[in-house]
Amino acid sequence: MSDQSIKRTLHASSGAIPAVGQSIKIQKREEVKTGVLRRRLQSGLGLSVIYLFLIVMTIFALFPIYYVVQASLAGGQNLYTTDLHLLPAHPTLDNYVYAFTQEPILAWLGNTFLVSGLATAIGLVFSMTGAYALSRFRFKGREVTLNLLLALQAFPGLLAITAYYYLLQYLNLLNTAPLLGLALVHAAGALVFSCWNIKGYFDTLPVELEQAALIDGATHTQAFWRVTLPLAIPALAASALFIFVGGWSEFALANYILNSNDTGSNLTFMLGLYRLQGDFRTPWGYFAATSVIISLPLTILFLYAQRFFKSGLTIGSVKG
Amino acid sequence: MLKVKRSTIFLYMLPMLITIALINLTPVLYTLYLSFTNNTLFNGEYNFVALGNYGKLLFSTDSELLYVLGLTVLYVIACVSLFLIVGMLTALALNNQKVKGLLFWRVVLLVPWATPYAITALVWKFLFNFDFGPINQIGRVFFGKDFGIPWTTNPVWAFIAVVIVNIWLSYPFFTIVILGALQSVPQELHEAARVDGATSWQRFRSITFPLLRPAITPATILSAITTFQMFGTVYLITQGGPITSADKPGATSFVMIYMYNKVLGAAGANIHYAQIATFAITIFIILGTLTFLARSLGQRNKEALA
Repeated sequence: MSDQSIKRTLHASSGAIPAVGQSIKIQKREEVKTGVLRRRLQSGLGLSVIYLFLIVMTIFALFPIYYVVQASLAGGQNLYTTDLHLLPAHPTLDNYVYAFTQEPILAWLGNTFLVSGLATAIGLVFSMTGAYALSRFRFKGREVTLNLLLALQAFPGLLAITAYYYLLQYLNLLNTAPLLGLALVHAAGALVFSCWNIKGYFDTLPVELEQAALIDGATHTQAFWRVTLPLAIPALAASALFIFVGGWSEFALANYILNSNDTGSNLTFMLGLYRLQGDFRTPWGYFAATSVIISLPLTILFLYAQRFFKSGLTIGSVKG
Repeated sequence: MLKVKRSTIFLYMLPMLITIALINLTPVLYTLYLSFTNNTLFNGEYNFVALGNYGKLLFSTDSELLYVLGLTVLYVIACVSLFLIVGMLTALALNNQKVKGLLFWRVVLLVPWATPYAITALVWKFLFNFDFGPINQIGRVFFGKDFGIPWTTNPVWAFIAVVIVNIWLSYPFFTIVILGALQSVPQELHEAARVDGATSWQRFRSITFPLLRPAITPATILSAITTFQMFGTVYLITQGGPITSADKPGATSFVMIYMYNKVLGAAGANIHYAQIATFAITIFIILGTLTFLARSLGQRNKEALA
């Protein structure tokens, strides 16, 4: 509470007690007391309502995660009963052993890393050079490019899914390297957002830094790589994470263009998981264990990278 | 601004421009072209039909456009208003200094944000399972053996189910946005209003809420647009179903899901690529208009503040 408001409170309460007879004073004081009591009761009640709400929200937020973790430890036995089991009776790691030995989970992870990693590398490099040009240089066609980027941002790639299919077929990627094709489409899709985000961040960096470097004899390329890029790491990290996570969870296009081979080892893990879960011959415990294994690294990465998100995304977007 | 040779600028722009031209622009233009033809899987023709497909989509009585659009708008309204309410309540609770263990609650309540959404969608699908899902199992503990909510087979329940999952995924974003804005509301204003006898509801209505609006408005518009084009979460749970009659799309066939199901097609059935392209371009025009309006609205807000 600030000084001023304390003064105001004091002033208000002293004004409420008239300095007339003693009895009136006491009566008034009693009233003030019950008022305080009522207010305290109310705020106590309010506080317990808040705690109740927080507990309910915590159950809502954590229940799916809790359930899938306990199911992954429960073995196969008690998932397909109609009775409730919230604690595994005999905790076992069988499901995890099965996931690693019987499902091509490592191949899925490898494929997904390949797609997301390639998409991130391509998307980031292409968008940061483009964003640099749009932020630092003035040239004919700059406005047109910015408007084009804006219009494309409103176009969800999913709408053109048949066209992507033909494009990858035309580029001869569909049968030879479908994962590379997927990565290209992801990279291009994320390029637009990433370029806006990084350009917004470049705009906040003073151009005088590069001018100084140029005067000291650096080339443009050196100024870009050695001065501007290191300063823009928060925005670059945020964009990279954005592209990576997008590729990691992509389902629609992968489902459309990837055809499963006999063992399913050529899939991204989202597709693999989808098939695992859709197939009710596979015990659900296997699905649970597999999804825990796959979620864990991403969740940790996300929590770790959150601080980049904060500064990298907000600064970029505010100015953009 | 830096002065450089034109060729340098060109080199910086080239990789991005080529990628965008090849992978972003070409499919859009191809889809546009396709929408003016009569192409299907069976006929393989590309005959020019002018605006015929658009006429059919917009004015034909058996067009499913209005139904799908209506369903999607209903979903957007339900989701976004609930995001706002849940996000606001959690942010207000987390901003209350009298609550003990704030850091703990804050971390716990933001957990759904950090989980990969597609995997959690599949987990939710199991939670909703009629026989084996824990939600119905818990219900059976309280309401007897015959209890069971037909989460994925009844149209209304399926709709509710995908709203619930979307709230679970999205409320943390609103909590963070609102919490950030709440912490910038000067405490003195509250104290002054309290002294003047304002109830907590009055304080919220006339002090907190107006000060939160600049932060809430863009977040709301943004999430309305992303909810409009929601695909993965809903598709992984319902595939757009349940389908209750042969001539109507399923109860959770929102625009993207509706289109995706059309593209995949039923086994052995004809796929009307041209009509699908027409639908896609129409949705693009709607989305583009919305995005443009949102942007100019945001700009006006910014100018009004400055």
